[in-house]
Amino acid sequence: MEVTATFILNLVYVSATLALVALGLAMVFGLLGVMNMAHGEFVMLGAYSVYVVQLAGQHFLWSIPLAILVCAAVGWLVEWSVIRHLYSRPFDTLLATWGVAILIRKGTEVIFTRDYKSVNQIMPGTVDIFGVSYPAYRLVLVALIILLFVLLYAWYQRSKAGLKIKAMVQGPELASAVGIDKAQLSRATFIIGVSSAGLAGVLLAPLVRVEPYIGLDYLMSSFFILVVGGLGTLEGLLIGSTVIGGTDALISTVFDKTAGYMSVLLISILFLWLRPDGIFYRR
Amino acid sequence: MVSSIGVRFILLVLLIAVPFASNSYTAYQLGLYLLYGIAGQGIVLCWGKGGFLPIGQALFFGIGAYISGMILKIGPGWGMVFVALVLAVVIPALIAGVVGALVFGRKIGSGLYFSLITLALSLLGYQLANSQVWLTGGFNGMTGIKGLPGIDSFGSLYFFIVGALIISTISLSYLIRMPFGQILEAVRENEERLQFLGVNTSRIKAIAFALSGGIAGLAGAFFAPHQGIVTPQVVGFILSAELVIWTAVGGRFGLVGPVLGAVLVGFLASGLREHFAFWEVVVALVFIIVVLRMPGGIVGLFELIAGKIGLNISGSLALQRFERVTEKPKSVHPKLEFDNVSLRVGPVIILDGLSFNISKAGIHCLIGPNGAGKTSALNVLTGKLSHNSGKIFWRNNRIEGVQPFRMSGLGIGRKLQVPSIFPNLTIRQNIDVAIWVNRLKFGHYLSKRPYYWHKTLLEKLQDAFPFLIDSDVLAGTLSVGQRQMLDFSMTVLAEPDLILLDEPCAGLSKSETETMISAISDLAKSSNATFIIVEHDMQVVELLSDNVLVMHQGKLLVQGSLNDIRGNPDVQRVYAGGTK
Repeated sequence: MEVTATFILNLVYVSATLALVALGLAMVFGLLGVMNMAHGEFVMLGAYSVYVVQLAGQHFLWSIPLAILVCAAVGWLVEWSVIRHLYSRPFDTLLATWGVAILIRKGTEVIFTRDYKSVNQIMPGTVDIFGVSYPAYRLVLVALIILLFVLLYAWYQRSKAGLKIKAMVQGPELASAVGIDKAQLSRATFIIGVSSAGLAGVLLAPLVRVEPYIGLDYLMSSFFILVVGGLGTLEGLLIGSTVIGGTDALISTVFDKTAGYMSVLLISILFLWLRPDGIFYRR
Repeated sequence: MVSSIGVRFILLVLLIAVPFASNSYTAYQLGLYLLYGIAGQGIVLCWGKGGFLPIGQALFFGIGAYISGMILKIGPGWGMVFVALVLAVVIPALIAGVVGALVFGRKIGSGLYFSLITLALSLLGYQLANSQVWLTGGFNGMTGIKGLPGIDSFGSLYFFIVGALIISTISLSYLIRMPFGQILEAVRENEERLQFLGVNTSRIKAIAFALSGGIAGLAGAFFAPHQGIVTPQVVGFILSAELVIWTAVGGRFGLVGPVLGAVLVGFLASGLREHFAFWEVVVALVFIIVVLRMPGGIVGLFELIAGKIGLNISGSLALQRFERVTEKPKSVHPKLEFDNVSLRVGPVIILDGLSFNISKAGIHCLIGPNGAGKTSALNVLTGKLSHNSGKIFWRNNRIEGVQPFRMSGLGIGRKLQVPSIFPNLTIRQNIDVAIWVNRLKFGHYLSKRPYYWHKTLLEKLQDAFPFLIDSDVLAGTLSVGQRQMLDFSMTVLAEPDLILLDEPCAGLSKSETETMISAISDLAKSSNATFIIVEHDMQVVELLSDNVLVMHQGKLLVQGSLNDIRGNPDVQRVYAGGTK
């Protein structure tokens, strides 16, 4: 019973954090068609923001605005200098953002060295829930992520900006014809996407090792989630996160980390073979 | 063309001269970069030619290195070396082929997904290489690998590496110039078109990927004796990224590019890495600039300069056609039946129980107001859209849900509404591809012979559309009207029995329309083929059609001769804007 409860709590926690990490990639790829290979590097920048704030002796919460500021600035620069020239060339965006990823990674390495940085637990201690004691920070994190998704969903469905984005995605020419500034909107979408990755990095920093190379894992798991969940729906994102996170957690516990990774990769390849558009696909 | 071989010959002489002209350590380093260059040549095959980008190539390089290392450790002798080489090529090629077949199998345009899957595989390979210590030696690597018997790894092994480079360059450039290469380029240019012509494009891509895996494995096989140690880094994502970067910077469209890129960046890196912390940041910046501004890389830059001063380095095979291929005998009886076919996309009903029957050769026109479902009916027929219910019979076999590339083999050819051609291939190459499909046997893919094929039908088409004779013009430079004509010619050159033409006269001038109409009706008279033409222009319908089918709101409204249709009150109401 306790084992089951722990497992379910872990599953919820893993899925929620993965969904948060994948959100930015889903936005940028689903809405703009840009496979942002530097996605994980923005998560990494978010995590380093926590480290910097901690070095400066400030409160953890300061790392949220710092991360968003850093990611938005870098994101703006990347969009302006690279991506806006490549919107209709998917492979070139992939390569260019890969170059950007190396750039950010190596830049971070030069500044902070390759060493692991440890970030202090901000909410140590556990809470009793369903008969098990579970780390409090994880529970708060899950609650925050759920809140964020609900807000995002409501915003996307109801706000004018959400409407404009939908218009731009479904009919780019018509959207520009009716006065939607596509260039600006694309840039905003990209910046929001990478900033959400930065936010994910902040929230995850106390729980993971912080070093320049963590980004790649986040990129890959976000990508697997998109393959399984399909593009364009929040439901797909959540289901994808659960499938990928659940498989990885289960297999990694029973066998080892490599087996977990292998099974996730196999699932993704099988999905591409059997359901190339993912579980939730709306034409 | 001659100068291209000349350039390669000069480079080869330079490569052979290096160990004599400089110290042995330089040659040793150069050998390593040449191996990376060989692996990069596989990327050229996939990316430059096939248009899909593998970004985890180090996996195959590394597997080749581990296999060769393992076997060379077991025992000495040239027999073992041979076994090592064969396995180091075959096993990575098989893995790549299976992955390619799975990922490409179902969907056009899974290109980006494919790229990330290859990267994921490379990451998996890295983890396995680290964790399976019994097999790979784990983190510390597989050590104690012996060199080739009697060959000094720091000396004469270099010449073996140059030999491998020569073999890889010659066989790849042969492959690229033969029909396989041309079809691979057609995949890059317009995969959907090629599928409607009847090519199983996913198989072509999977084979190209398998070959690139094998070549990477070959390079890896030499890596093991060259370095004497194989560590997990050799399968990892950093080397994978570097292979792509070297290929891009050197030039991804030719076989010299990746070698040049690897050698150049390699030597610069070994000189600068120690002293200059930002070195890799600089490489990343250069890479981004290449992607943004110079897709042809350094070689592309040279070609541009050579072109400016009047040298033409590249060239394609355009041989005199002299072997007349027999056109296949026409089986006259078309028998196409739509039985209650429905298609919904989201909340919109596009086809609403469409039923009709075509059993006579000749020209059938499909007309109807915008949104009647004409194009969708063709899309469902050719497997471009999957329908929700109903049956489609072709010659008494159900064919709904058959993959698009099989249609051509069943005798159904299709021209899309927007002219769809291979823009960066010449007119000649476009036509070649159309003549080849349905006719290439296995051996033909690697043979010059198909280039000689000629058809009476092609002569007729060249009479009707004289621009088809100018074979060296890039198809992408043609006008819309000429593209329609080229597209039409390609469709009929594949010799289908049932030819689906979606608004063949769209975008044509009046005189071009006349040319097109007479070409279609000549062909219909001389070939016994059956045409279904979606058309809006009633004059065209009047000139061409034996039988008119009118669609409205996803259903067949009426079918008959044009005069019957004109007199039909339902049709009049629909075209006057009523709802029936």
